[in-house]
Amino acid sequence: MKEQWRLLKTENISAAKNMAIDRAVLVANSEGNSPPTVRFFTWKPPAISIGYFQSLKEEVNLDVCKKLGVDCVRRITGGGAVFHDDELTYSIVIPEDHPQIPKNIMDSYGRICGAIIHGLDYLGIESNYKPINDIIANSKKISGNAQTRKLKTVLQHGTVLMDVDVEKMFSILKVPNEKIRDKLISDVKERVTSVKHVLGRDVSFSDAAEAMKTGFEKEFNVELVEGELSEEELKLAKNFERDFFGSKDWNHRR
Amino acid sequence: MQSKSVYKIPDGKLLKISLNYTKNKIIEIRIMGDFFAYPEEAIEIIETKLKDSYLNRESLLNKINSVIKDNNIEFIGLTAEGLTDGIMMCLK
Repeated sequence: MKEQWRLLKTENISAAKNMAIDRAVLVANSEGNSPPTVRFFTWKPPAISIGYFQSLKEEVNLDVCKKLGVDCVRRITGGGAVFHDDELTYSIVIPEDHPQIPKNIMDSYGRICGAIIHGLDYLGIESNYKPINDIIANSKKISGNAQTRKLKTVLQHGTVLMDVDVEKMFSILKVPNEKIRDKLISDVKERVTSVKHVLGRDVSFSDAAEAMKTGFEKEFNVELVEGELSEEELKLAKNFERDFFGSKDWNHRR
Repeated sequence: MQSKSVYKIPDGKLLKISLNYTKNKIIEIRIMGDFFAYPEEAIEIIETKLKDSYLNRESLLNKINSVIKDNNIEFIGLTAEGLTDGIMMCLK
Protein backbone atom coordinates (compact mmCIF):
# COMPACT_ATOMS: atom_id res chain seq x y z
CA MET A 1 0.00 0.00 0.00
CA LYS A 2 1.23 3.48 -0.84
CA GLU A 3 2.18 5.89 1.91
CA GLN A 4 -0.59 8.40 2.54
CA TRP A 5 0.04 12.12 2.92
CA ARG A 6 -2.53 14.73 3.83
CA LEU A 7 -3.92 17.07 1.18
CA LEU A 8 -5.33 20.46 2.20
CA LYS A 9 -7.18 22.85 -0.09
CA THR A 10 -7.76 26.33 1.32
CA GLU A 11 -9.07 28.96 -1.07
CA ASN A 12 -9.46 32.72 -0.66
CA ILE A 13 -7.38 33.24 2.49
CA SER A 14 -5.50 36.37 3.58
CA ALA A 15 -1.73 36.65 3.22
CA ALA A 16 -1.09 36.63 6.97
CA LYS A 17 -3.29 33.59 7.50
CA ASN A 18 -1.76 31.68 4.59
CA MET A 19 1.76 32.14 5.94
CA ALA A 20 0.55 31.35 9.47
CA ILE A 21 -0.99 28.07 8.30
CA ASP A 22 2.26 26.98 6.59
CA ARG A 23 4.20 27.64 9.78
CA ALA A 24 1.56 25.96 11.97
CA VAL A 25 1.65 22.80 9.84
CA LEU A 26 5.47 22.84 10.03
CA VAL A 27 5.38 22.99 13.83
CA ALA A 28 2.67 20.31 14.14
CA ASN A 29 4.55 18.03 11.74
CA SER A 30 7.84 18.56 13.61
CA GLU A 31 6.14 17.39 16.80
CA GLY A 32 4.86 14.27 15.10
CA ASN A 33 1.26 15.46 15.39
CA SER A 34 0.57 15.89 11.66
CA PRO A 35 1.46 13.78 8.65
CA PRO A 36 3.45 15.02 5.65
CA THR A 37 1.13 17.59 4.13
CA VAL A 38 0.61 19.15 0.72
CA ARG A 39 -1.59 22.25 0.58
CA PHE A 40 -3.01 24.07 -2.43
CA PHE A 41 -4.26 27.58 -1.78
CA THR A 42 -5.23 30.99 -3.13
CA TRP A 43 -5.03 34.51 -1.72
CA LYS A 44 -7.84 36.94 -1.01
CA PRO A 45 -7.25 39.81 -1.27
CA PRO A 46 -4.35 39.51 -3.75
CA ALA A 47 -1.05 39.87 -1.92
CA ILE A 48 2.65 40.51 -2.16
CA SER A 49 4.90 38.18 -0.22
CA ILE A 50 8.54 39.12 0.24
CA GLY A 51 11.48 36.87 1.10
CA TYR A 52 12.74 36.72 4.69
CA PHE A 53 15.82 38.82 3.86
CA GLN A 54 14.12 41.51 1.83
CA SER A 55 13.11 45.00 2.82
CA LEU A 56 9.38 45.56 2.34
CA LYS A 57 9.73 49.22 1.48
CA GLU A 58 12.59 48.58 -0.97
CA GLU A 59 10.77 45.84 -2.85
CA VAL A 60 7.19 47.01 -2.83
CA ASN A 61 5.37 50.20 -3.78
CA LEU A 62 3.39 50.34 -0.56
CA ASP A 63 1.21 53.24 -1.68
CA VAL A 64 0.10 51.32 -4.77
CA CYS A 65 -0.63 48.25 -2.62
CA LYS A 66 -2.84 50.33 -0.36
CA LYS A 67 -4.65 51.91 -3.30
CA LEU A 68 -5.28 48.53 -4.96
CA GLY A 69 -6.17 46.72 -1.71
CA VAL A 70 -3.21 44.35 -1.96
CA ASP A 71 -1.93 42.68 1.25
CA CYS A 72 1.77 42.49 2.13
CA VAL A 73 3.50 39.78 4.15
CA ARG A 74 7.06 38.68 4.95
CA ARG A 75 7.64 34.95 4.47
CA ILE A 76 9.79 32.74 6.70
CA THR A 77 11.48 31.53 3.51
CA GLY A 78 14.16 33.37 1.56
CA GLY A 79 13.84 34.26 -2.11
CA GLY A 80 12.21 37.17 -3.84
CA ALA A 81 9.04 39.22 -3.82
CA VAL A 82 5.99 37.59 -5.40
CA PHE A 83 2.65 39.05 -6.43
CA HIS A 84 -0.02 36.45 -5.61
CA ASP A 85 -3.11 37.12 -7.68
CA ASP A 86 -4.42 34.57 -10.18
CA GLU A 87 -2.32 31.61 -9.16
CA LEU A 88 -2.32 28.26 -7.46
CA THR A 89 0.07 28.31 -4.54
CA TYR A 90 1.32 25.06 -3.03
CA SER A 91 3.16 24.18 0.13
CA ILE A 92 4.65 20.91 1.30
CA VAL A 93 5.66 20.13 4.87
CA ILE A 94 7.63 16.96 5.53
CA PRO A 95 10.30 15.75 7.98
CA GLU A 96 13.85 16.47 6.86
CA ASP A 97 14.77 12.80 7.33
CA HIS A 98 11.88 11.44 5.26
CA PRO A 99 13.37 8.98 2.73
CA GLN A 100 11.76 10.88 -0.17
CA ILE A 101 13.53 14.13 0.72
CA PRO A 102 17.17 14.57 -0.36
CA LYS A 103 19.44 15.79 2.43
CA ASN A 104 21.04 18.27 0.04
CA ILE A 105 18.91 21.42 -0.13
CA MET A 106 19.38 22.06 -3.85
CA ASP A 107 18.56 18.43 -4.64
CA SER A 108 15.39 18.71 -2.57
CA TYR A 109 14.31 21.83 -4.49
CA GLY A 110 14.67 19.84 -7.69
CA ARG A 111 12.72 16.92 -6.27
CA ILE A 112 9.77 18.98 -5.02
CA CYS A 113 9.74 21.06 -8.22
CA GLY A 114 9.52 17.70 -10.00
CA ALA A 115 6.02 17.31 -8.56
CA ILE A 116 4.97 20.67 -10.03
CA ILE A 117 6.56 19.80 -13.38
CA HIS A 118 4.53 16.56 -13.46
CA GLY A 119 1.43 18.55 -12.54
CA LEU A 120 2.02 21.03 -15.35
CA ASP A 121 2.56 18.08 -17.68
CA TYR A 122 -0.94 16.80 -16.78
CA LEU A 123 -2.26 20.20 -17.81
CA GLY A 124 -0.44 19.85 -21.13
CA ILE A 125 2.48 22.15 -20.34
CA GLU A 126 6.07 21.10 -20.82
CA SER A 127 8.34 22.68 -18.24
CA ASN A 128 11.76 22.35 -16.65
CA TYR A 129 13.38 23.05 -13.31
CA LYS A 130 15.74 25.99 -13.52
CA PRO A 131 18.04 26.24 -10.50
CA ILE A 132 18.04 27.89 -8.11
CA ASN A 133 14.30 28.01 -7.57
CA ASP A 134 12.33 28.49 -10.78
CA ILE A 135 10.30 26.34 -13.13
CA ILE A 136 10.23 27.58 -16.71
CA ALA A 137 7.95 26.91 -19.67
CA ASN A 138 8.87 28.26 -23.12
CA SER A 139 11.97 29.83 -21.47
CA LYS A 140 9.75 31.92 -19.19
CA LYS A 141 9.11 31.60 -15.48
CA ILE A 142 5.82 29.88 -14.67
CA SER A 143 6.61 28.93 -11.06
CA GLY A 144 8.80 30.29 -8.27
CA ASN A 145 9.68 28.26 -5.18
CA ALA A 146 11.20 28.82 -1.74
CA GLN A 147 12.26 26.40 0.97
CA THR A 148 13.10 26.63 4.63
CA ARG A 149 14.21 23.98 7.08
CA LYS A 150 13.25 24.47 10.71
CA LEU A 151 12.75 22.04 13.62
CA LYS A 152 14.19 19.25 11.40
CA THR A 153 11.28 19.83 9.03
CA VAL A 154 11.16 21.00 5.42
CA LEU A 155 8.66 23.61 4.27
CA GLN A 156 8.67 24.48 0.61
CA HIS A 157 6.07 26.73 -0.92
CA GLY A 158 5.73 28.01 -4.43
CA THR A 159 3.52 29.39 -7.13
CA VAL A 160 1.94 28.14 -10.31
CA LEU A 161 0.96 31.23 -12.27
CA MET A 162 -2.52 30.76 -13.74
CA ASP A 163 -2.75 34.20 -15.35
CA VAL A 164 -0.61 37.31 -15.02
CA ASP A 165 -1.56 40.94 -15.04
CA VAL A 166 1.96 42.12 -15.82
CA GLU A 167 1.06 45.80 -15.70
CA LYS A 168 -0.43 45.41 -12.22
CA MET A 169 2.41 43.17 -11.01
CA PHE A 170 5.12 45.62 -11.98
CA SER A 171 3.17 48.60 -10.71
CA ILE A 172 3.40 46.96 -7.28
CA LEU A 173 6.86 45.35 -7.36
CA LYS A 174 9.96 47.48 -7.62
CA VAL A 175 12.20 45.54 -10.02
CA PRO A 176 15.90 46.38 -9.98
CA ASN A 177 17.63 46.58 -13.34
CA GLU A 178 20.55 44.48 -12.14
CA LYS A 179 18.45 41.35 -11.99
CA ILE A 180 17.01 41.79 -15.44
CA ARG A 181 20.37 42.44 -17.09
CA ASP A 182 21.65 39.01 -16.13
CA LYS A 183 18.70 37.29 -17.72
CA LEU A 184 19.39 38.92 -21.08
CA ILE A 185 15.83 40.09 -21.39
CA SER A 186 15.30 43.73 -21.94
CA ASP A 187 11.70 43.95 -20.87
CA VAL A 188 10.50 42.79 -17.47
CA LYS A 189 7.26 41.68 -19.04
CA GLU A 190 9.12 39.07 -21.05
CA ARG A 191 10.24 37.15 -17.96
CA VAL A 192 7.04 35.47 -16.88
CA THR A 193 4.33 33.35 -18.42
CA SER A 194 1.23 31.59 -17.12
CA VAL A 195 -0.89 28.49 -17.55
CA LYS A 196 -3.48 30.54 -19.42
CA HIS A 197 -0.90 32.07 -21.73
CA VAL A 198 0.69 28.73 -22.62
CA LEU A 199 -2.59 26.82 -23.09
CA GLY A 200 -4.63 29.66 -24.53
CA ARG A 201 -7.51 28.93 -22.15
CA ASP A 202 -8.54 29.41 -18.52
CA VAL A 203 -7.94 26.55 -16.10
CA SER A 204 -9.95 26.50 -12.85
CA PHE A 205 -8.32 26.22 -9.43
CA SER A 206 -9.90 22.80 -8.89
CA ASP A 207 -8.62 21.44 -12.22
CA ALA A 208 -5.14 22.83 -11.54
CA ALA A 209 -5.18 21.43 -7.99
CA GLU A 210 -6.21 18.01 -9.31
CA ALA A 211 -3.31 18.06 -11.80
CA MET A 212 -0.84 19.12 -9.10
CA LYS A 213 -2.18 16.43 -6.74
CA THR A 214 -1.46 13.83 -9.41
CA GLY A 215 1.96 15.42 -9.91
CA PHE A 216 2.89 15.04 -6.24
CA GLU A 217 1.54 11.48 -6.17
CA LYS A 218 3.65 10.55 -9.19
CA GLU A 219 6.85 12.26 -8.04
CA PHE A 220 6.77 10.84 -4.51
CA ASN A 221 4.88 7.57 -5.14
CA VAL A 222 2.31 8.42 -2.45
CA GLU A 223 -1.43 8.88 -2.16
CA LEU A 224 -2.69 12.33 -1.17
CA VAL A 225 -5.80 12.08 0.99
CA GLU A 226 -7.87 15.20 1.48
CA GLY A 227 -8.08 16.32 5.11
CA GLU A 228 -8.49 19.32 7.37
CA LEU A 229 -6.28 21.39 9.64
CA SER A 230 -6.22 19.95 13.17
CA GLU A 231 -7.38 21.89 16.23
CA GLU A 232 -3.73 22.29 17.23
CA GLU A 233 -2.81 23.68 13.80
CA LEU A 234 -5.74 26.12 13.81
CA LYS A 235 -4.68 27.40 17.22
CA LEU A 236 -1.02 27.69 16.21
CA ALA A 237 -2.00 29.47 13.00
CA LYS A 238 -4.09 31.99 14.90
CA ASN A 239 -1.14 32.77 17.18
CA PHE A 240 1.36 33.03 14.29
CA GLU A 241 -1.01 35.33 12.43
CA ARG A 242 -1.30 37.63 15.46
CA ASP A 243 2.36 37.57 16.54
CA PHE A 244 4.16 37.40 13.19
CA PHE A 245 2.53 37.59 9.77
CA GLY A 246 -0.20 40.03 10.71
CA SER A 247 2.13 42.31 12.67
CA LYS A 248 3.93 45.43 11.48
CA ASP A 249 7.01 44.44 13.51
CA TRP A 250 7.43 41.25 11.50
CA ASN A 251 6.52 42.57 8.07
CA HIS A 252 8.66 45.72 8.34
CA ARG A 253 11.57 44.20 10.27
CA ARG A 254 13.95 44.78 7.32
CA MET B 1 28.71 57.58 6.90
CA GLN B 2 25.79 55.83 5.23
CA SER B 3 26.10 53.90 2.02
CA LYS B 4 24.25 51.25 0.01
CA SER B 5 25.21 48.74 -2.63
CA VAL B 6 23.29 46.49 -4.99
CA TYR B 7 25.25 43.56 -6.31
CA LYS B 8 24.17 40.63 -8.47
CA ILE B 9 26.10 37.63 -7.12
CA PRO B 10 27.70 35.77 -10.08
CA ASP B 11 25.38 32.79 -10.82
CA GLY B 12 23.40 33.79 -7.75
CA LYS B 13 20.88 36.22 -6.39
CA LEU B 14 20.66 39.94 -5.81
CA LEU B 15 22.40 41.24 -2.69
CA LYS B 16 21.60 44.62 -1.19
CA ILE B 17 23.80 46.04 1.55
CA SER B 18 23.00 49.00 3.73
CA LEU B 19 26.10 50.14 5.62
CA ASN B 20 26.72 52.63 8.38
CA TYR B 21 30.48 53.07 8.85
CA THR B 22 33.33 55.26 10.00
CA LYS B 23 36.50 55.76 7.97
CA ASN B 24 37.62 52.15 8.38
CA LYS B 25 35.12 50.28 10.56
CA ILE B 26 31.56 48.97 10.30
CA ILE B 27 29.14 50.56 12.75
CA GLU B 28 26.05 48.73 11.53
CA ILE B 29 25.21 46.58 8.53
CA ARG B 30 21.95 45.30 7.04
CA ILE B 31 22.22 42.38 4.61
CA MET B 32 19.20 42.10 2.30
CA GLY B 33 18.23 40.37 -0.91
CA ASP B 34 16.45 37.46 -2.56
CA PHE B 35 19.06 34.85 -1.65
CA PHE B 36 18.58 31.88 0.69
CA ALA B 37 20.44 31.20 3.95
CA TYR B 38 19.99 28.21 6.24
CA PRO B 39 19.10 28.78 8.98
CA GLU B 40 17.54 32.12 8.03
CA GLU B 41 18.27 33.67 11.43
CA ALA B 42 21.98 33.25 10.66
CA ILE B 43 21.97 36.46 8.67
CA GLU B 44 21.28 38.36 11.88
CA ILE B 45 24.24 36.61 13.54
CA ILE B 46 26.46 37.72 10.65
CA GLU B 47 25.16 41.30 10.92
CA THR B 48 25.94 41.35 14.64
CA LYS B 49 29.39 39.77 14.27
CA LEU B 50 30.39 42.25 11.57
CA LYS B 51 29.89 45.24 13.88
CA ASP B 52 33.24 46.96 14.57
CA SER B 53 34.93 44.95 11.80
CA TYR B 54 37.61 46.65 9.73
CA LEU B 55 36.57 47.48 6.17
CA ASN B 56 39.34 45.45 4.63
CA ARG B 57 38.46 42.79 2.05
CA GLU B 58 40.68 40.04 3.44
CA SER B 59 39.76 40.49 7.08
CA LEU B 60 36.03 40.75 6.25
CA LEU B 61 36.16 37.56 4.19
CA ASN B 62 37.99 35.73 6.98
CA LYS B 63 35.47 36.89 9.54
CA ILE B 64 32.44 35.97 7.38
CA ASN B 65 33.94 32.54 6.64
CA SER B 66 34.56 31.90 10.33
CA VAL B 67 30.99 32.91 11.29
CA ILE B 68 29.66 30.61 8.54
CA LYS B 69 31.76 27.73 9.85
CA ASP B 70 30.97 28.32 13.54
CA ASN B 71 27.21 28.48 12.91
CA ASN B 72 26.89 25.82 10.17
CA ILE B 73 25.41 28.36 7.79
CA GLU B 74 24.55 27.33 4.24
CA PHE B 75 24.03 29.98 1.57
CA ILE B 76 22.22 29.43 -1.70
CA GLY B 77 22.51 32.21 -4.27
CA LEU B 78 25.04 34.00 -2.05
CA THR B 79 28.68 33.35 -1.18
CA ALA B 80 31.10 34.66 1.44
CA GLU B 81 33.12 36.28 -1.39
CA GLY B 82 30.00 37.86 -2.87
CA LEU B 83 28.93 39.19 0.51
CA THR B 84 32.41 40.65 1.06
CA ASP B 85 32.38 42.26 -2.40
CA GLY B 86 28.92 43.70 -1.75
CA ILE B 87 30.16 45.30 1.48
CA MET B 88 33.32 46.70 -0.13
CA MET B 89 31.23 48.17 -2.98
CA CYS B 90 29.60 50.45 -0.43
CA LEU B 91 32.91 52.29 -0.16
CA LYS B 92 33.11 53.21 -3.85
